[in-house]
Amino acid sequence: MLTFTLRRLSLFIFTLLVLTLLSFSLGFLFPGDTVINHSGQINTTAAELAHLNKVYHMDENIFSQYGAYLSHIFNGNFGQSMASQSPISHEIITLLPATIELSLVALLIAMSVGIPLGFIAAINHNKASDNVILSLAMLGYSIPVFWLGLLAILFFSIGLGWLPSAGQISLLFEIEFVTGIQFIDILLSDSPYKWQAFRDASTHIILPACVIAVAPATIFIRLSRTAMIEVLAASYIRAARAKGLSFSQIIFRHAIRNALIKIIRHVGLQFANLVTIAMVTEVIFSWPGIGRWLIESIYHRDYTAIQSGLLVLSCFIISMHLFIHFIYAALNPLARGNKYGS
Amino acid sequence: MARDKIYLEEVFPSPFMQLWSGFRKTPVAMLGFYCFMFLVVLAIFSPIIVPYNPIDGNLDMILLPPSWHEDGDVSYLLGTDELGRDMLSRLMYGTSLTFGLSFVVVIVSLVIGVVIGSLSALTKGIKSSFLNHCLDVILSIPSLLLAIIIVAILGPGISNTVLAVAIVFIPQFIHITRYAVKEEFRKDYVLASRLDGASNFRILYYSIFPNIVERLMSQATLVQSAAILDIATLGFLGLGAQIPLPEWGAILANGLERFYIAPWTVYLPGLAILFAVVATNLVGEGIRHALKLRKES
Repeated sequence: MLTFTLRRLSLFIFTLLVLTLLSFSLGFLFPGDTVINHSGQINTTAAELAHLNKVYHMDENIFSQYGAYLSHIFNGNFGQSMASQSPISHEIITLLPATIELSLVALLIAMSVGIPLGFIAAINHNKASDNVILSLAMLGYSIPVFWLGLLAILFFSIGLGWLPSAGQISLLFEIEFVTGIQFIDILLSDSPYKWQAFRDASTHIILPACVIAVAPATIFIRLSRTAMIEVLAASYIRAARAKGLSFSQIIFRHAIRNALIKIIRHVGLQFANLVTIAMVTEVIFSWPGIGRWLIESIYHRDYTAIQSGLLVLSCFIISMHLFIHFIYAALNPLARGNKYGS
Repeated sequence: MARDKIYLEEVFPSPFMQLWSGFRKTPVAMLGFYCFMFLVVLAIFSPIIVPYNPIDGNLDMILLPPSWHEDGDVSYLLGTDELGRDMLSRLMYGTSLTFGLSFVVVIVSLVIGVVIGSLSALTKGIKSSFLNHCLDVILSIPSLLLAIIIVAILGPGISNTVLAVAIVFIPQFIHITRYAVKEEFRKDYVLASRLDGASNFRILYYSIFPNIVERLMSQATLVQSAAILDIATLGFLGLGAQIPLPEWGAILANGLERFYIAPWTVYLPGLAILFAVVATNLVGEGIRHALKLRKES
């Protein structure tokens, strides 16, 4: 496990370096002056510009420039937002937790709906319920998420009036910013209306999280269906059946555990997909997260924000990927011996 | 009459024909295939057969509901939008933009991805490992985010969107080609032609490509459905097709302000996208099913 950990960590650091290289090169690719793209200071005097050039080593060779950029990033200095002229690191700290919260809730919903449905489909393989679940999965996979979000708002918020259509929490509640993850902040606060706030926040998150969860859930259905079919065809299941175990014993004690391991492996890859969907959904539901902020940065041509947003969001996804891979390796000893960590 | 062929000729259908005969046996896949062909025909001929000009509005006929509604007019079958533009014409024209351009995306990224992927399958050691890790990094960035960044570099517009989406999907093709070529290289028939003295490129071109073409096609349908969604999403966000162009996502975003008074300007383009993606996915599912049948037989 130790060598596995070290190998994965070195790969992780390499990945992060490639990402910083990518975001560094974006400074050159975006329109405008490179140093202004890196720092985000648009209204500079000649003296300030000269200072910036010196700080970012712009008059030296490209490696030294990259080094200067890297040291800025490691000090938590992402420059200023071109649109609002406030430090980007501050904006990211306030916005990223909302996205993390939304995507984790969505992932949870997708897994808790998708995996059981996939198991049911696999147990009834080639029967009517299998076909129904598969066609539903196909439909859910094909719906454009922005359209689904609009229909959900039209139906649940405007038509039935059950759930709020925008924002993270009603403005009536004043919750102090501690971690940025709304639910934790509410529980930490000592407001007398704590539980009302908690209920309000949960009604706000249900609709966007469900909209995000639809497409990943369909992928989980397929994954768990394939995994379960494979497991049920294995000889140890036949052995268990020969021993005289009942059907539910076989499924719950043997099949589900082994199938889950195969699914967990793919959760990390699905996470990137989920965050993409979350970005669009944030725009529709006015969720104060990093996805909406990034898309708005494009309208404002805020290149510094795009550059650092890419870096932070990808880091988040890759860390989740790594985390899930560790869980997988902890559960499945066979995965630790891989020569090439893929 | 004398029979010319005395001996029963043994015909081995090519892998592609085997796939087609398996594909034809599933009715749902054929239904998807007909819908797909319908969209292809519509995408090619829509500029000729649209009843009205999709960009010019008729200001006497503003926000007309679809013709099955009691206020509707049968000469505007699917109603009109806020400038009196015929929805049917706009949706038909949009087929050649959203659906037609997704073809361009697939072809561009397929060609580039297959070339790089098969070249990289021939390399070994550090070069190969480095490429693999770089691919992993790119694959872990959300595709839409990457597309958004490329659009930010190039500036909004439909041609830049197509380019961005095509670039985004290249790594997927590299990955699958690389994997498939490596797998085929281990098989005996490749060894046989290698013993005949064939060079790597000859093996690649004459032996391996015919055998992996169906897998590439199945991946291509997946990419196409994702490309339709991505083009529409970028259009919806206002980063893709610009204002007068009737791209499905852009039509939807355009109707957003009048969602309550004219819901058909929102749900019709959404249904069009859904229809195109479902048709593409059904074809892809049919190909995968046929491949599985062939493997089992």
